[in-house]
Amino acid sequence: MASHTSKAFLSLGRINVHGLGLQKPLSRFTYATALTISSANTSKGLPDRGGRGSFLRKPKRDAGEPRTEKMPVDQDWTAVYPAATPFRPGSVPLPVRMGYPMKGSIPPEKKGNLELIKIPNFLHLTPAAIKKHCEALKPFCTEWPSALDTDVKCDEHFPIKLQSTDYVFAGPSVRNPSARIVTLRVKVSSLNLDEHARKKMLKLVGKRYCKDTDTLTITTERCPLRQQNMDYVMYLLTVLYHESWKTEAWEAEKTVADMEEYSWEDSPSQRNILGTLVHMKVAGEGEGEEVREQLLGRKEVQEYKDSVTRLKNEGESESHMLQYKEAVKKLLNL
Amino acid sequence: MAAPMTLRRELCSLARIFRGISRLGPRASAACSGHRKCNIIRSHLPLTSNTFFHTATVLPSTPSSITVTEEPDVLYQKVSIMVKGHDRAVLDSYELFTTMAAKELGITISNVSEPHKDMERFTLLKSVHIFKKHRVQYEMRTHYRCVELAHITGSTAQVYLEYIQRNLPEGVAMEVTKTAMEKMPDHILEPMWKDHPIDDKPSQ
Repeated sequence: MASHTSKAFLSLGRINVHGLGLQKPLSRFTYATALTISSANTSKGLPDRGGRGSFLRKPKRDAGEPRTEKMPVDQDWTAVYPAATPFRPGSVPLPVRMGYPMKGSIPPEKKGNLELIKIPNFLHLTPAAIKKHCEALKPFCTEWPSALDTDVKCDEHFPIKLQSTDYVFAGPSVRNPSARIVTLRVKVSSLNLDEHARKKMLKLVGKRYCKDTDTLTITTERCPLRQQNMDYVMYLLTVLYHESWKTEAWEAEKTVADMEEYSWEDSPSQRNILGTLVHMKVAGEGEGEEVREQLLGRKEVQEYKDSVTRLKNEGESESHMLQYKEAVKKLLNL
Repeated sequence: MAAPMTLRRELCSLARIFRGISRLGPRASAACSGHRKCNIIRSHLPLTSNTFFHTATVLPSTPSSITVTEEPDVLYQKVSIMVKGHDRAVLDSYELFTTMAAKELGITISNVSEPHKDMERFTLLKSVHIFKKHRVQYEMRTHYRCVELAHITGSTAQVYLEYIQRNLPEGVAMEVTKTAMEKMPDHILEPMWKDHPIDDKPSQ
């Protein structure tokens, strides 16, 4: 035990002498025995703790010249910074300066600069490194089918679009409850619906349908998991589709107020105009159905019908009002 | 340096992962076969998936096995990546990295934009007790960057996103919005009432 410790002292002695080389250059190669420790410690003025002091208080070694001096210009940088590591001033051969400059001075240098260590650096992601990584990742990628190069073709073959969001962030938990939300978008024209089914579906769906883009958007967040929400949204679409093809008994009670579009037949406008024309005696004498039929067949009446329908369905605009004016003038011979 | 130590640790962890995957292999593939969104390529990536420490991309001398399954690959019409951070310079560098990586992997970038930053400000009392007239104001700035990729397959998206997310810098958050395209399912092609006439039941 004693011999072992003495050996340890001997080795320490050598190291200590090495470290103290700056202060005592002459003594470097003169003595390297156990005696040096006690003499070194007493010369420094430290209390002699019997050897434990030398373990606790190692004198500082000088750092030597930084690695940047020895770096060749054409080195492989990806080997110097292979992974994300904090900034090391001794490993980055760039004269970087960072920080707010003191009055009349420049930003502080990179040695001992905390600002450079705090900010995330991208030294491990140089273009060379990115190329290397991508070369290794390329075998795992697949190509996009070349036949689906335009959006139109994509919509034609794959009309249903399912949208979901993933979140990556640092926090007490990795989960984000918003990740379960699923949105389904489908063009109603791509579904196999007849006129009645289409109108019924639009009534069932309400605000979820956008007339300008003809898109039905269904958003689900009812279930706790994304896969469940996806299944639920597909189920909703299926149910909507099949229910809209059904015709219930109470659908026969649809009134004019429920109609989606304005139709001129059997409307107050038709009755009014026909009444006016009959009163004006345009088609000659006679009352009854055949006069009305004759009037309906006239070109001016048809034009009037078109203009009124356009106004009611598409809203008011300059061209529509002009068309209506022309139709009325022609009809009433103004 | 610490390089040989980290390499040894990596190799041990690599071995663990491979063994783990081989153990899970048949069970995982069986479980995923009914899964619609199973990816076509089940890969043993050379990147270690240990979340405890950042390690280098160790390229092993033997090529890693790539399994190709029969599941059809998911097709994404659009993948929108939005990164949020407090420092605009960091987001600039990250955008450079993502665009370069996408170009290397052959992914089409449809749009790169920078939405306006958000500033959340609040005013607090400066002192612990009284002194209502003296306040201090703080603000938190959130900068955004949005990269939109178009026409990308599920395997490529998985590879690219994993690479991007592993190299996400500290203090930066990411939201990935994927728009997957699907064929019309078979049960919506024809209404079922054609084959099965409706019974006279009162509807709910």
